[in-house]
Amino acid sequence: MKRRSRRALIYLTLVAAEVFALFPFWWMITTSLKHQVEIFGGLEFLPQAPTLDNFAALFDKYNFGPFLANSLLVVALSVAGSLLLGTPAAYALTKLPTESWLQRQALIVVLLVRMLPAILLVIPFYIVLANYGLLNTRLGLILVYTGLNTGFVIWLMQSFLAEIPRDIEEAALVDGDSRLSALRRIVLPLAAPGLAATAIFSVINIYNDFLIALTMTSTPDAQTIPVGVSTLIGKIQIQWGPMAAAGVVGALPIIVFALIVQRHFVRGLTLGAVK
Amino acid sequence: MVTAGATRARPRSRRAALIAGSHVLLVPAAIALAAVSVYPLAYGIVASLRQFRYGLDLGFAGADNYLNVLQDATFLTALGTTAKYVVLCVLIETLLGLGLALLVNRQLVGTSLWRIGIILPMTVAPVVVGVMWRLIYASDIGIADPVLGLLGVHGVHVLGGESSAFLGVVLLDVWEWTPLMFLILLAGLQTIPQEPLEAAVIDGASAMRVFFDHVLPMLRPVLFVAIVLRTIDAIGTFDQVYVLTRGGPGVSTQLFSIYAYNTAFLFTQEGRAMAMVVLLLAAVLVLAGIAIRLVRLGPGTR
Repeated sequence: MKRRSRRALIYLTLVAAEVFALFPFWWMITTSLKHQVEIFGGLEFLPQAPTLDNFAALFDKYNFGPFLANSLLVVALSVAGSLLLGTPAAYALTKLPTESWLQRQALIVVLLVRMLPAILLVIPFYIVLANYGLLNTRLGLILVYTGLNTGFVIWLMQSFLAEIPRDIEEAALVDGDSRLSALRRIVLPLAAPGLAATAIFSVINIYNDFLIALTMTSTPDAQTIPVGVSTLIGKIQIQWGPMAAAGVVGALPIIVFALIVQRHFVRGLTLGAVK
Repeated sequence: MVTAGATRARPRSRRAALIAGSHVLLVPAAIALAAVSVYPLAYGIVASLRQFRYGLDLGFAGADNYLNVLQDATFLTALGTTAKYVVLCVLIETLLGLGLALLVNRQLVGTSLWRIGIILPMTVAPVVVGVMWRLIYASDIGIADPVLGLLGVHGVHVLGGESSAFLGVVLLDVWEWTPLMFLILLAGLQTIPQEPLEAAVIDGASAMRVFFDHVLPMLRPVLFVAIVLRTIDAIGTFDQVYVLTRGGPGVSTQLFSIYAYNTAFLFTQEGRAMAMVVLLLAAVLVLAGIAIRLVRLGPGTR
């Protein structure tokens, strides 16, 4: 009897934690589906007459299209760029003798770059990009994100690549494969799931960034979704419906991606320190 | 058997061949990383020694910016607010995260579903989190004020009062980042072997004793990694607070990063803002140094 009530208590606590974790999502989504009148009409946990008007307004009246397009372009090119730079470097690090000086130093530097808060970097970035005429351009954002995310790619990929036994690759070489074909036939297929997870984490990191995009851009020519969301708040009277809709647009793709990589989450967040 | 000797020698040379030349692959990444860290930081340190007004560089200023910043009461207040914020958030998140992890780390129905639900808050953009909580705290359409009313607290607008706004921002942080602590600590708990714990229970140890004598010591490395990572991230908190309060009302939620941002981009005093940032950099480097010692380095060691 005591055992059963203890179990009930555990489940009750978990349900409370879930409600707390998920309620803000529910509140934002339902608000985005309500008419203006209903939003102000007192507390309703379900929209009485669901509408997509807020989403329509977001794109017609508040011009959200360019933000979305900028985000897609910037994220795609930055992720591709950082994977191209970071993956070979991660591969090289796993080929160095374990715990060698170069390997240790390289990983320390990468980790340091990763841990620098964005506020430390945006002021110099701003001055440097201004010097090169790259402020308020998508190219400027892509360059900054590519560089910053390269460190993340190196850490995560070397943690995945290190799991591939060296013997397999060496055996392929002994069998007469060239180095490149061993890489293509053996290493890449084994590393593919890790590469996919790294790419998805990179998408989440870059898509979610706010401070860098906020400071480096000033018009919808280059502003990304998070910055677009924040411009809706600056107005004197906040348009709650469209703002909630903007939040949903900002959150939805990321939730989908997060569900795909949730198995690797701990590794992604701790850079392989904990698995 | 000449060939036998040759094949025996081969793996060794192949291994050498695998290592040789791979250093070249590090070069492009190293250049990219230096371009977004060493270069801007060096540039920033130089900028912190110069005087800027309205975006114009007015020349060398020596240590003026640093002296100026250290005598700036608003800056010192922002540092204090940040310290209070970081300590409060990390403490609450560690305790809650640990509690939840202990709860989930057992035979439960649908463990992975519980897990997914709990980790969702930290996946979405901090700006979106700010939007969610604006919708909750809003004085006209929000749900926070009515809920407080039910609890007997009337006439409070969460973001309207100084201390309530600060607590409101802390609550948001707890909501967003407890999942991180939970997830890392759960992973840590799952690596702890069960046999010694069962033995202790058989020996008659209470649940409390088992936790403090056995579980906590084994969890300590993971716990430290999680706390240091979270602390560094919390120090840099900007997005959610910018969306929620912009540092107000008054300066009650003006964290370091908000003040540095305002100084550089609203007051266009880049030199002064960089001086603040360099001071913070020193603090972060110390913490990062600790983190790096804790995070076991090198492929193969995790």
